[in-house]
Amino acid sequence: MTLLLSAWTIGLILSLLSLGVYISYRVFKFADITADGSITFGAAVAASMLTHGVHPVTSSIAAFAAGCAAGLCTGILHTRFRINQLLSGILVMTALYSINLHVMGQSNLPLLSVTTLTTYAQDLGRWLTGHDSATLFGWPVSARDAGSLVLSAAIVFIIALIAWLFFNTNLGSAMRASGDNEQMIRALGVSVENMIVLGLCISNGLVAFAGALLAQYQGFADVQMGIGMIVWGLASVIIGRALTGTDSAGAALTGTIMGSVLFRLIIAVALRWGLNPNDLKLVTAIFVFGALVLPMLMQKVRSHAAAS
Amino acid sequence: MLQLRELRKTFFAGTHNEVRALRGVSLQIDDGSFVIVIGTNGSGKSTLLNAVAGSFYVDQGAINIAGTDVTRWPEHRRAAMIGRVFQNPFSGTAPSMTVAENLALAARRGLRRGLGRLLPARIHTELRDRVATLNMQLENRMNNPIGTLSGGQRQALTLLMATWRRPDLLLLDEHTAALDPKSADQIVRLTEQIVSQHRLTTLMVTHSMQQAATLGDRIVMMNQGSVLADYRAAERRHIRAEDLVRRFDEIRRDELLDASAAEMLRAQYL
Repeated sequence: MTLLLSAWTIGLILSLLSLGVYISYRVFKFADITADGSITFGAAVAASMLTHGVHPVTSSIAAFAAGCAAGLCTGILHTRFRINQLLSGILVMTALYSINLHVMGQSNLPLLSVTTLTTYAQDLGRWLTGHDSATLFGWPVSARDAGSLVLSAAIVFIIALIAWLFFNTNLGSAMRASGDNEQMIRALGVSVENMIVLGLCISNGLVAFAGALLAQYQGFADVQMGIGMIVWGLASVIIGRALTGTDSAGAALTGTIMGSVLFRLIIAVALRWGLNPNDLKLVTAIFVFGALVLPMLMQKVRSHAAAS
Repeated sequence: MLQLRELRKTFFAGTHNEVRALRGVSLQIDDGSFVIVIGTNGSGKSTLLNAVAGSFYVDQGAINIAGTDVTRWPEHRRAAMIGRVFQNPFSGTAPSMTVAENLALAARRGLRRGLGRLLPARIHTELRDRVATLNMQLENRMNNPIGTLSGGQRQALTLLMATWRRPDLLLLDEHTAALDPKSADQIVRLTEQIVSQHRLTTLMVTHSMQQAATLGDRIVMMNQGSVLADYRAAERRHIRAEDLVRRFDEIRRDELLDASAAEMLRAQYL
């Protein structure tokens, strides 16, 4: 049960990363590898502030702002200095590695003895269950696990709602249109460059915020924790697309969150069945590869079938 | 309304692919005038439109719209004054967004875009009413992604979007060339109707001599990056499609003559 609850919780926390990747990858078709650096950046900033006694909420919001700054850099590298999308992301990601080490002061920063959002989650869980543990469908559940799940679900719900509202404002719609048809939105008076910068800001802000929550949930920040996270986000976004199938902002946001949770559950089950944790990134990469080429193969098969 | 002074633009300057697309184009277009631009392939007519729209900066010369010098303005800033319809019917609309969303985006052309709702409840009636004027039954498909509509329907909507807020200048770049004849006719009629209704200053590029002869009140003929002929007033009224075709044949013959004469000279003297 703990495993299942933790899979749900991590899936929800990482769905914020997926929402960020949704903005860069689905809205702008921009494979923004900055995410690998900014998720760690968020974790590092939050962890470092927490160990200095800053309030968990303030620390998490600061992590969001830090991510925005990272996205701003990538956006400016790409739009103002005309550096290729992927390369802009790689440069910022690489730079962030050193910055993260500086922020944390060491490669791993434990959060065991400080007050974090998980502390609040535990209080919430105790309040909900009335005890330190409860039973759910006959399984024992700790207050910490239950509280973390409820709290992360609430946070994700609020952020997804804000994102949905944003994408239906004049500004947010102009952002969606910038990714959909650059020429058109330019002719309607929108600077596509500014939209990309703003989009990457928000995207990496969300990714860093996910990093801050993840660090608080697992009780440490690690300089290596971001490796391959962009691929994770892509997998979630792709599953989300397959689940909902439409392009409307609401459906895509919901799909992305569902995709993230579902993907985490699949991974948890696979690990339970004996998947070597070392193979996790390999399996994720293969999965995304499959999801990217499958539509193309399907089309080939279909046109073959139509021809014969 | 629109003043172009000695516009020059060379692409790929200094390479083997150098193209002198505009070689000193000057035009003065009055308020409310509907100008048709014709010319052979590569004559620079589309380049001229793109120069005005700001798709690139000109090397030399000045562009003045409604009394404002916009020569160094980026494209998105000029968009506050300019409505545009492209040759490709897919270029003017955002395919995955709905008809209503596309129109609402166009309704804020050149205005600040903040955190107000794109589609507040009160805007829906206005959107439907104006789409209904197209007589294409599109008012019943306001919530469909615009990518599910046909090229003709999308081009009609693009025309509506470009003129939703009255532009100082309307630029039409062969906007019927990629459509089937029936849709093309429909768009031509719609163009006439919208331009005359709002008395829009319009610059329209076309390949069709028929359109050139029947639409607009002035014809500018371009060749090799410069203005070759400018028919207006009485001259414009008497011109027929055949006259334009004959003129084009003359140009072609002259160019052929130039080329063969040069060949002959080269053979004899080099």
